[in-house]
Amino acid sequence: MENLINIFVRSVFIDNMIFAYFLGMCSYLAVSKTVKTSTGLGIAVIFVMIITVPVNYLMNKYLLLPGALSWLDPSFASLDLSFLSFIMFIAVIASIVQLVEMIVEKYSPSLYNALGIFLPLIAVNCAILGGSLFMQEREYETLAEATVFGLGSGVGWFLAIVSIAAIREKIKYSNIPKPLRGLGIAFILTGLMGIAFMTFMGIKL
Amino acid sequence: MKALRRYLDKIKPNFQKGGKLGMFHSTFDAFETFLFVPDKVTTKGSHIRDSIDMKRTMTVVIMALMPAMLFGMWNVGYQHSLMIGESWTLWQNFFYGFLKVLPIIIVSYGVGLGIEFAFAQARGHDVNEGFLVSGMLIPLIMPVNVPLWMVAIATAFAVIIGKEVFGGTGMNVFNPALLARAFLFFAYPSHMSGDKVWVAGLTSGDKVVDGFSGATPLADAAAYHMDKLPSTYDMFMGFIPGSIGETSTLAILIGAIILVVTGIGSWKIMLSTVIGGLSAGYLFNIFGVNPYMEIPAWHHLIMGGFAFGAVFMATDPVTAAQTERGKWIYGFLVGFFALLVRVLNPAYPEGMMLAILLMNAFAPLIDHYVVQANISKRLKRAKKVAKL
Repeated sequence: MENLINIFVRSVFIDNMIFAYFLGMCSYLAVSKTVKTSTGLGIAVIFVMIITVPVNYLMNKYLLLPGALSWLDPSFASLDLSFLSFIMFIAVIASIVQLVEMIVEKYSPSLYNALGIFLPLIAVNCAILGGSLFMQEREYETLAEATVFGLGSGVGWFLAIVSIAAIREKIKYSNIPKPLRGLGIAFILTGLMGIAFMTFMGIKL
Repeated sequence: MKALRRYLDKIKPNFQKGGKLGMFHSTFDAFETFLFVPDKVTTKGSHIRDSIDMKRTMTVVIMALMPAMLFGMWNVGYQHSLMIGESWTLWQNFFYGFLKVLPIIIVSYGVGLGIEFAFAQARGHDVNEGFLVSGMLIPLIMPVNVPLWMVAIATAFAVIIGKEVFGGTGMNVFNPALLARAFLFFAYPSHMSGDKVWVAGLTSGDKVVDGFSGATPLADAAAYHMDKLPSTYDMFMGFIPGSIGETSTLAILIGAIILVVTGIGSWKIMLSTVIGGLSAGYLFNIFGVNPYMEIPAWHHLIMGGFAFGAVFMATDPVTAAQTERGKWIYGFLVGFFALLVRVLNPAYPEGMMLAILLMNAFAPLIDHYVVQANISKRLKRAKKVAKL
């Protein structure tokens, strides 16, 4: 249990997807104009993360790792399919995003309308693929660890986009120099927020 | 005074639109309003009239900073005299510190105001007074041994990237003084932390008495040298090494009283920061895994920059939360995170700076949720009334 809490806190604050690794920047910068839409996107990312990371964990464990296929037949024990991880992970993510989209549309049209274009966009969000690749690289031991890591990374991303959206709403009427308006100031803001998030760098739980 | 006024009136036409030096209008205006209360008044639309404008506000904050600054100067000399093992008189201590601190203040003001004036000229707006306070805060949160060129770079970074790109005073998201310090902290860590930087002359090879370490109480505590911690009285009065203005809790309290009485600093933020710090401290006391967690919670309030940050940094009206309920949440989290970093993060001995910067990033979000909560509460009430 302690281990799981540790992974969660780490992935939310210390290894924050945006401020520590600068992953998923495209939608982070593009959709962070208002708190409302960025909340929607953030929740969608949490949702997708929490499903794709464990699924990819299973893929990794039972298909891709060296000798992972030996559950099919002992003669496969020497096979190493890890060179396929990129294509497998992204295929899983894309199909799961599609699936999630269909399910949400069927059972909760209001949420579907609220998320709009963001749901399909998530398929190409690098934070999601990054989550799966980090999961592979850090060799999480159990399915629970992978799930908690997915949840934590999603929550960290959510926090980042919602907080920058609030700041961008606040500075909407500031007298910012013309060349910096819009994306320029968003980049500077992200850098400064990165400095603020250095707070957590090095914390060991 | 009259002669000065007459002189200003005489040269004023030169600086007005169309005058010979019209392009320097904002520079002239800045000096004129600094010297005399401007005669411009609102003629319509405004319902609150107050003699206090931004310049006076900033001046009050500077006055509140004076005790901490004067004590800081004295303490620089005192620590140095301890280091070389001589006992100096009060004036010797003060004069030594004065000579050490004054250059830092001059560089900070010179660079910062230079950039402010340049931006004001280039962008055609009036010079704002915001830097008066930042320029005083920057020297007070530096270690006394910091090289002057670093102060210059950090000030330039803070004013340009922290403030001017957001549109100048009142628009910044992060506290400029803290950004300056954070910039140096991450760019030149060896000059901003460790045991050598806090006492003047310790790095330059002056003779040092045996047993003098120059470590701050925070560094001692982080290394679990609990027996080396100075007495509570010393820490409260400020006879300890540390950044120039942060050591004396007493001097800072005097400043806090000035700020609260004049209504310029928010007592809600100060109080909630202290509450946040205390609750984190008591939480650590309950766990008590290592010696650092076992020190009394209130000890944290008088060590390091906690008091200075709570009184002068967290209360910055621009970067703090703006809503009244938001201020409580904001302050509480500042205090809480500051202690969290101090005790749990081995990389940094002090957490106040980073905790405030972090909460600066989240303050707009806190405000947003407070406002939204209020809106939905009122909507609910309106619906209830409509139903009746």
